Amino acid sequence: MAKPRTYDSEDFSRPLRRVLVGFSVVLFLALFVLWRIDSPRVERFRMALIDKVVPSFAWAMAPVTKLSTMVDNFQSYGRLYEQNQQLREELQQMKAWKEAALQLEQKNARLLDLNNVRLDPMLTHITGVVLTDSGSPFRQSVLLNVGMRDGIQDGWATMDGIGLVGRISGVGNRTSRVILLTDSSSRIPVIVQPSGQKAVLSGDNSMLPPLDFLEHSDQIQPGDQVVSTGDGNVFPAGLLVGQVAMGADKRLRVVLAANYERLEFLRVLRSYASAPITDTGALLVPLPPRPLPTGVQGPLMPAAGLPAATQPEEAGTAAESTASQTITDGTTGARSD
Amino acid sequence: MINALIGPVWLHRLIFLGVALVITFVRLLPLQTTAGHLPGPDLLLCLIFAWMVRRPEYLSALMIGAVVLAEDMLLMRPPGLWAALVLMGAEFIRARSALTRELNFGVEWLLVAGVIFGVFFANRTILDMAFVDQPSFGFSLLQIIWSVVAYPAVVALSRYGLDLYKPAMGQVDSFGRRM
Repeated sequence: MAKPRTYDSEDFSRPLRRVLVGFSVVLFLALFVLWRIDSPRVERFRMALIDKVVPSFAWAMAPVTKLSTMVDNFQSYGRLYEQNQQLREELQQMKAWKEAALQLEQKNARLLDLNNVRLDPMLTHITGVVLTDSGSPFRQSVLLNVGMRDGIQDGWATMDGIGLVGRISGVGNRTSRVILLTDSSSRIPVIVQPSGQKAVLSGDNSMLPPLDFLEHSDQIQPGDQVVSTGDGNVFPAGLLVGQVAMGADKRLRVVLAANYERLEFLRVLRSYASAPITDTGALLVPLPPRPLPTGVQGPLMPAAGLPAATQPEEAGTAAESTASQTITDGTTGARSD
Repeated sequence: MINALIGPVWLHRLIFLGVALVITFVRLLPLQTTAGHLPGPDLLLCLIFAWMVRRPEYLSALMIGAVVLAEDMLLMRPPGLWAALVLMGAEFIRARSALTRELNFGVEWLLVAGVIFGVFFANRTILDMAFVDQPSFGFSLLQIIWSVVAYPAVVALSRYGLDLYKPAMGQVDSFGRRM
């Protein structure tokens, strides 16, 4: 009784409340319309917001995530005996594979040497830790703890140790978002080896994304390897994506090589775009034959700074002969044969 | 203690913000990185509607809007639309708080299920009209059905965990005001 009833003042504030609610609904809808019209701007804002909010929770997220993976691991102790048997079998098979791999590695090294291949020095990587996933069953993406300050750019490829995982889409200062290959908005150009068929791997929110736009699907067998192509400058070429498999719906799908169960550390490949071809007509016109510089016939010798060939028994003699040639010829390293 | 300092309304507002934070936090934990999992319930939606039926004065419209908009942003949903629809649904229930006070739980559940479905279909329709890519209909319907199923559990937790109940007719609070 001491205090006056507050109902009278509420009667005055009711129309004000209505206006406030209506105003905020209109504001939200306006934000949605703005997002639909100018999505990149709003997405940048979203990324900046996430960049501010999520890293401040990282201290809490890390232990909880660790704990739940530990529980998972603990559950697998129950099947220790079966796993041991299974691992022994696999180990036997792996020994055979290891032998094959060693031989292939040596062969590959020899072939690379013969071809004088230099791998792209720009293709290095940054490793980031997964902070969060998308939080929604309808979207497949993860947030990494590397961002603009580490030089991450939109569109770069992301791998785990083995295979391609996704593509950077949205970079904040400290974080960046990776759209996984399984997301329904993910489309990447791939090539199926050994038939060389090009296709588009289009995610559909399932664990086995299908191959679209295949020209001759009958040339492809389950088990064929799928790697990325450099088409459209989306990704660097030759990154392992996975293996072809026949889905339950008779569509050709890809079993991804990356381990999506445990996305913990991801590599972001620094891939700088190659020079774009801007003039359209120049390629169609046959160029006049350019006169060769005098004294040059055949391919150029490798630059002097290259490491000596990895075939030690021949390297000595070859180096001697080239050295003598350069002295006698006096030319700029042109081969005289 | 805190109750005496800031009063029950602000205490419950703080609790609501804390629970919303925990729900979002758990959803963001990177435990489900494989695709194709069946969606679970939208607990925040259930929480908002359950509290709105019981104690509308505990949830201000601004707070609901801000929390759902923040969730929109963090969970990569189209920003704003879901927040606007949930706010409208909540205000729809608030406007009927005199009516829902009399209802038993079965009818209340039906009413809330109706609002949830309404919000869901409005969301689908508007996204369709704006030509936004959406997950398949059945898949997202499943989440809504789960939410409706989970609603009684959220109500029970609020009732017995946080002592949140519909005030009876003519009940007075500690200041002697009618509730």
